[in-house]
Parts: sequence; C-alpha cells; structure tokens
Amino acid sequence: MNIGDILPPFRIASVDPEAMKTWAVALHDPNAIHLDRAAVAAKGLGDRVINQGPANLAYIINMLRAAFPGGAIRSLDVRYVDNVFEGDDVSAGGTVTAIEGGQATCDVWLRAVERDLVIKGMAVVTLAEAPGDGDQRA
Amino acid sequence: MSDTSAFPPPPDVAGASLSGTEPYVITAEENAALCRSTGVEPDADGQAHPIYYYIATQVGMGVTVAGMCEICEFDIEEGPMMGQSSVTFERPLMTGQPYVVTGQILDLTRKPSRAFGVMDLLNYELRLSLPDGTPVVASRNSWALPRRELAKQETAK
Repeated sequence: MNIGDILPPFRIASVDPEAMKTWAVALHDPNAIHLDRAAVAAKGLGDRVINQGPANLAYIINMLRAAFPGGAIRSLDVRYVDNVFEGDDVSAGGTVTAIEGGQATCDVWLRAVERDLVIKGMAVVTLAEAPGDGDQRA
Repeated sequence: MSDTSAFPPPPDVAGASLSGTEPYVITAEENAALCRSTGVEPDADGQAHPIYYYIATQVGMGVTVAGMCEICEFDIEEGPMMGQSSVTFERPLMTGQPYVVTGQILDLTRKPSRAFGVMDLLNYELRLSLPDGTPVVASRNSWALPRRELAKQETAK
C-alpha cells in the first residue's frame, strides 16, 4: 500500500428496497420515505424509496474493510451530500493520502451512477501487523 | 437571505443529555442480517459491522430521534437531514457485548439556507463504553433541521 493508491471499489449494482426494511428495524426508524413510495412522492422527493444514510456509509466501510484485510477502521469523518434511491447503482471508493505510524489515511466517497457524489470524507485505518509482528487483530 | 437576525433565536438546548438508560447489545442475528443487506457476510469472530457505531448510539441513547427533535422544538415530520458524522473507534464493536451509551447535544445554531430559507444545525455527540467505563466509540453527528415555517413567516411580512 502506497500513497496515491486507489482502493478497490465496492459496488451495489441496484440498491434493494427490501434491505431498507432491515435498516428501519435496526435503526428503530419508521420514517415512511424509506418504506413507502407514496410517502416519498407526497413529500415531492421522487417516486422511489430513499436509502437510510447509515446504510450508504456502510458501503464505504465495506470498501475499506475489503481494501485493508486484517486492519481496523480507526476513524471516519464524512459528509452526506445526496440521497440514494432504490435501484440506484452505487460505488464506494477511496485513495490513500498518507501512511504513517502504522495507519493509512484515505479520502473516501460513495457515488451514485446517475447523480454522482453521495458521501465524501476521510478515513484512518490501522494497518494489519506484518506476519511475525504478533497475532493480535487491530 | 444573508443572515438570521430577522428570526427568533433557536432554543437553548446545548448540554441536553442524550445518555441512555439501558445498555445496548448488538445481537448476532441482527448483525448478520444487516451485513447481508449491505452485500457482505458477517465476521466469524463476533465482530459487529462498524456501522453499529451509528446504530447503537442512535437506538441506545436516552431519547428517540423524534424526542431529540422535540428538544429542539422541531417536528420530525419536517424531515431532519443527516449532514455530517465522525467517529473514532478505540476497539472493535462485538456482538453480544453490552454497551453503555452516553452523550449530549453540543449546540443548535440557526443559519440561512439557500434551500429552505432558514435552518437549524444540530450538533450532538454520543459515546459507547463497556460497563466498566472502558471507552469504545466516540461519535459526533450534525443534522440540518429545515425551518420552512420560519422562512414562510418572514416572507409573508
């Protein structure tokens, strides 16, 4: 891993409205814009249900965990820029901007193919110890 | 609209407690369902998906999201919007582990908004710790609370 490296993207080809029901339960969030197309339309927000914001961030986390096997996310700092709708094709990505003290700093983002940037931010990942350095997972 | 001097100040809510009353436990079943909903399998070693930093703090805090909006004199039906979120992990989140949730509202600031005329920016922080006080997660979130009614009242003057 080097500064400037592009992290392998994590893609969801079509955001599933059924997954939003799982998130509604987990978040204790009955907001109808995640569950009912008519409710979305009534608010003038389109005709597709809207993915929960933390679910969008979870895609970025999945990308980071796949890019840094054995590592651990130390910190995240993100800004929510836009919504993700059911059926959207989204891709999480990132680039390495610094490596220091056993940690990699990365610019990260989530983009929706139809509307571009959804989330942008920065992550710090504690890198996995090299073989022989110990067996503790960070 | 260049400033918010024409509007009444937002309620003084800084310091309002968001601490929970019962520890939050991430169940293995819910973690598995949540992981699969995002396209990955759950960890075999009991680590929960890191996004539980947000879920556990939101669900485990002492008020509901609607209740937090009420503290800010904001009707949740007006549609609060997530703005920013930051988190620092001191250790991984684990399924089956009770986490104590503590936190408070940091501030509520009224601001001009191109989209809504005026909005309030809510900043709050929430933490997860082990029952013995060992820190696990520190998070800070910002939400935009659109104040359409205030903007309409000002426009009508």
